[in-house]
Amino acid sequence: MPGRAKFAVAAGIFLILLASCEYGGLLRPSVLGQVDPEMAALLNELPNLDEPNEALIGRLFATGGASRVDVGSDGIMRDKIRVPKDEYLWYPAIIIMPRGGTLELDITNEDQRPHAIFAPSNGERQVLELPAATRGVVRVTLDQPGMYWFGCPVANHANRGMLGFVFVKGEVPPEARLDRPPQRQPGNRRPPRAHQH
Amino acid sequence: MRTSIKIFTAALLMLAGGCYPSDMGPSWPITETQKSFEQMDAAMRQQAPAVADAVTGERIVRARAEPHNWLTYYGAYDGQRFSSLGEINAGNVARLKPAWVFQAAPIGLVANPPSFSLEAAPIVVDGMMYLSGWDGYVWALNAATGEELWRYRHAIPLDLPLCCGNVNRGVAVARGKVFYSSPNGHLVALDGRTGKPVWTKIWLDPRAGESSTMAPLVVKNLVIVGSSGAEYGVRGHIDAFDVDTGQRLWRRYAVPKPGEPGSETWGKNDAWERGGGSAWITGSYDPELDLLYWGTSNPSPDFDGSVRPGDNLYTNSVLAMDPDDGKIRWHYQFTPHDVWDYSGVNENILFEAGGRRLLAHFDRNGYLFVLDRRTGQRVSVTQFGDRVTWGRIDPATGDVSDRREPTREGIEICPGPAGSKEWPHATYSRSTGLLYTPVIDACATYRTYPTEFKESLSYFGGDFKVDPSQVRGGGVKAYRPNGTLAWEWRYKFPIVASLLSTAGDVVFVGTPDGMFIALDARSGRQLWQFRTGTGIHSNPVTYSVAGKQYVAVPTGWGGWIKGFAPNMFGHERGSALFVFALP
Repeated sequence: MPGRAKFAVAAGIFLILLASCEYGGLLRPSVLGQVDPEMAALLNELPNLDEPNEALIGRLFATGGASRVDVGSDGIMRDKIRVPKDEYLWYPAIIIMPRGGTLELDITNEDQRPHAIFAPSNGERQVLELPAATRGVVRVTLDQPGMYWFGCPVANHANRGMLGFVFVKGEVPPEARLDRPPQRQPGNRRPPRAHQH
Repeated sequence: MRTSIKIFTAALLMLAGGCYPSDMGPSWPITETQKSFEQMDAAMRQQAPAVADAVTGERIVRARAEPHNWLTYYGAYDGQRFSSLGEINAGNVARLKPAWVFQAAPIGLVANPPSFSLEAAPIVVDGMMYLSGWDGYVWALNAATGEELWRYRHAIPLDLPLCCGNVNRGVAVARGKVFYSSPNGHLVALDGRTGKPVWTKIWLDPRAGESSTMAPLVVKNLVIVGSSGAEYGVRGHIDAFDVDTGQRLWRRYAVPKPGEPGSETWGKNDAWERGGGSAWITGSYDPELDLLYWGTSNPSPDFDGSVRPGDNLYTNSVLAMDPDDGKIRWHYQFTPHDVWDYSGVNENILFEAGGRRLLAHFDRNGYLFVLDRRTGQRVSVTQFGDRVTWGRIDPATGDVSDRREPTREGIEICPGPAGSKEWPHATYSRSTGLLYTPVIDACATYRTYPTEFKESLSYFGGDFKVDPSQVRGGGVKAYRPNGTLAWEWRYKFPIVASLLSTAGDVVFVGTPDGMFIALDARSGRQLWQFRTGTGIHSNPVTYSVAGKQYVAVPTGWGGWIKGFAPNMFGHERGSALFVFALP
């Protein structure tokens, strides 16, 4: 096979792999357009962002990631979280619920150290202890849009990286909304809905 | 050749590295199970006596017949914050000692961290105390020992639009249930024995800037609540729900739609849609007249009145409402076309004098209003604020003259936005016949700034600043019902805690530097003090168990400190309920 053809095959394989890779989509112009070059340069300056004891903000950007829950046929929203070895990190660190409801987190502690989760829930805070190399499930209820935190209460793990958030999307029920025409939104977004009693 | 190998290798590395699926990992069996935080507290029984079962609207009407209890937010529907208990009195109060302390501290992140504070009026029913706190907490305590019997915690989003503080002013109790309105607008009816929800209703929209801080009021078969959020351009409202089912029976907006009564006071634009007038302080109630008296807050935007020409009804008013349908029978507006944030939500105290059924209201604008509560007719207007320069109210006509309004360049006006008195409540002593009010002596420099409204963002139309040189402390003032001053007690800091008066002729007052103080109700002389260690911005109450009288004061410095005591912003935070008794 001529060198040019081999190059084309290799490039083709590369592009196929890239396209099938979930990160390949990040090369879309619409995504690249959101990259802040100054922020990227700053993160690049900081050493060892994927190692423990570094800045939380860097860890969230660089490794923690966000995840959209799966909505089961029973209406329960589910997601899986890993605690990777040696990282003091929830992976993912941000859980996104499309609406309020019951959330079930299936958490695997792959670390050689004990961890635990303080999870927000209506009525009472829920606690799941995760000894080294164990897996557990915690079920919570968050029934209103907003941002909630979860964290590892062991030692100072939460502030060393094991701080996470649950974002609940959606709106309050129609009867709870104000009786008025749709109003201007921050960022000139379109009003989420029109509502009048 | 070498180039293509490099590329091929790079592609493989990317597959192995960059495309590592996020959920790949060991698949172990599930062995660990969750516990609630309460299950990890072996000291808590999670069960309380069923004393709430026998509380009804009819019983609250007769609250004065059972002074050992503090059955409703103000102690009784009249809003007097007076107790006929007299074991602790002016002669022996100097011997008061702590009986027990209940502590609560944040665990993890909370919304608006510098502002959390205990502000509630604890409700006491036959030896049980129900207390609410910041960030979604409700506790059931043994009122004699402080033992915690159950706890409820509503999950509160961190990103709530809280204008002023992560605070809550209390619960209501009736028909076996404890009613609590969470900061994110869930009205929760808890089982009085277990603290578990019986029903829950979402009644506010935080995405529109609404939140909740007030204690619900039970009247007849209704539980009544009012919204917060006039700093975010909401349209304020008061809602009533069925005590047993949680079904909403009515909602009354404080700002009328075009064509409704009062809409003629808003000019011909759409300012009403974001006109403010929230209703974040619990109302009072006259069961014989069957009238509910509920205050409304400032219009929005706070400081730029040019976008909302007119008096802006029914903001900064007291609304006399029919509790059955929320219809407004009469109203009285304390500050027409407010541009100073003189929120008119302050309590309305119902009392009798000279054979008349009266209503007393110490407004933020520095004036004491006495009205005929059957009709809303003005009886008297008296300046109680120390420095009042925003305008002059003619006592005969009620008209406002010499208005001094915020300017683009900035101008000093008195009082500042927290007013000559913030929300912490005044008291009326049935023993001395005097009205007592906490006082703030502070001015502010107000500035307007055009603000484009965007839903959920603050909507001030300007700003204000209180320089330490503009604060001259505060105190307590005692007035006769005719508006003449009986005595005054001065303090080095503004007084921003509710007062409590008793048949023992004592007036209790808390201070920003954490002193809990007893004054002689007849002279204003200081009789006793105790240093709690953090500022007091709450509702002290008194009650008795097995014949022994207690005085309870929630402490914790927080709330809207920038407004009412900016020179104390750096003071120590805390969160504890102190309960005192005679040895």
